[in-house]
Amino acid sequence: MKQSTMTASAMVLARNDADHRFPHVEDRDGLEELRSHVTGMLKSDDWGGAWQVYELDDLSAIDLAYLVERGLMTPRFADGLGEGRAFAVYGDGLASLEINGEDHLRLVGFRKGDGLESLWPLLNLLDDRLETAVAYAFDPAWGYLTASPARTGTGLRVYATLHLPALMLTGKLASIGLELVKHGLSMAPLWGGAGGVVQVSNSARQQGPESEVVRLVVDLCAEIVEKERSVRKMLLRENPLQARDQIGRSLGLAQHAWTMTFSEAVNLISAAQVGLEAGMVEAPGLGGQSAFELMTKLQPAHIVVEHMDRKVGCLENTEIDEVRARIMREVFAGACVR
Amino acid sequence: MFAEESPDWNPDASSSVECELCGEEPATMHLIRVVEGRVSHTHLCPRCAENLAEQTEGLALVLALPTVLRGAKARAETPAFSTSKSREEKLCPVCGTTSSDLRESGLVGCGNCYQVFGEQLEVMVKRDVEMIEHMGKVPLRGPETDSLRHEIMRLERMLRELVAHERYEEAAGVRDRLTELGQRLQGDDE
Ligand SMILES: [Zn+2]
Ligand SMILES: [Zn+2]
Repeated sequence: MKQSTMTASAMVLARNDADHRFPHVEDRDGLEELRSHVTGMLKSDDWGGAWQVYELDDLSAIDLAYLVERGLMTPRFADGLGEGRAFAVYGDGLASLEINGEDHLRLVGFRKGDGLESLWPLLNLLDDRLETAVAYAFDPAWGYLTASPARTGTGLRVYATLHLPALMLTGKLASIGLELVKHGLSMAPLWGGAGGVVQVSNSARQQGPESEVVRLVVDLCAEIVEKERSVRKMLLRENPLQARDQIGRSLGLAQHAWTMTFSEAVNLISAAQVGLEAGMVEAPGLGGQSAFELMTKLQPAHIVVEHMDRKVGCLENTEIDEVRARIMREVFAGACVR
Repeated sequence: MFAEESPDWNPDASSSVECELCGEEPATMHLIRVVEGRVSHTHLCPRCAENLAEQTEGLALVLALPTVLRGAKARAETPAFSTSKSREEKLCPVCGTTSSDLRESGLVGCGNCYQVFGEQLEVMVKRDVEMIEHMGKVPLRGPETDSLRHEIMRLERMLRELVAHERYEEAAGVRDRLTELGQRLQGDDE
């Protein structure tokens, strides 16, 4: 299995139109005007059909959750209310655009595995083209102006998702978080901390151009993942029996459970992944997909859309847990600890 | 696929700004611990955070306190902000946002707010270093592209807000400017 530093990479670029007030204070007419201007532009021939535009009213709760789970939409935009909102997807999911969320425009990019360095050039390009239709709110000293003063400047937030089960198990995450704070970065648990999956992002205003912000996140994350690997080695060396026992039990559950919550599945896959990377586990059913890809597919809306024909309207439905357990059994059939 | 900034993970805005451990230093760090599914929050100074982080097992994260809260602390310490509130209450004439709105929501209402609340915002976003000048990308067209029509729209909004807040003297000035621009616009059309 290919070992990438990052489990997933994402980026959000906030921009506002200088001629309108920010969405939370702008009136309905102003927001509608901006929405139709922007969506009209995205649908125009200039873009050659690269954007798929959605009205928020046309998206069901499952649709929204599915977009969030795929990293195309931020949870805050999905949960948001307010007038004049719209959403658009570029190039079948290479990037997306949130219209009239907290800011007038937020470009979103998401990739599985490493990909921060390639995301910035794409968002940069899309940003340049959007700017031909929208006069951005900008101040030479402050930079790009946003509704939240903390985002003002580059307007760029960079997210790196990391798989750090060993650092979490040994209680080393807090001191790493502290170290990140000193660099203006912060760490938050993705999925409530299940499986030791966390997300690092730049939270404070960063000095320097966008590419340097990306560089900082990439470099610091590489160091953290290096630490994770050495702690794993240490754990496996010093507690070989416990490690084997833990991983073996996880495989047992994965192979024989008939109902499973998402966070349990993430914990089990996380343990299996540690075993795989240590060469302790064989899991032929996993094929070429990464542990993270499997986790992604087991999120509730993914299961409803991809395995249940969208026939369930509620993500708390217990049938979803049954389908998830079935997929786990199939994937981990034939897996074993060597 | 984005870590949610759920209320659970945000500190309570009403809680103290002193370090909960030593009670001396200002708390700028937020330690979150998850023990058996229970989440606990502690607000700490950097030194105590460092000590505690070393001893914490399991899922524990240290975050910087949100800038809004840190700003609240800084404001309390800055004489300019601790003087009579009503006198310090500023209003953005373009969007109607006031100093208290900004304090409450942590959001500004428009680009002009960055001029009106500049000082307050600098305190809010300042990290431990001096004010950061923007060094990133700049727009291709530059910010100076307001057409006459947009300027008129902006002034009309400003006028409404000023009248709503009974600031008639300033409103009169804006109205004069509007009349002038309106005439110019008509002149252009002819
Ligand atoms: Zn302290
Ligand atoms: Zn304003």
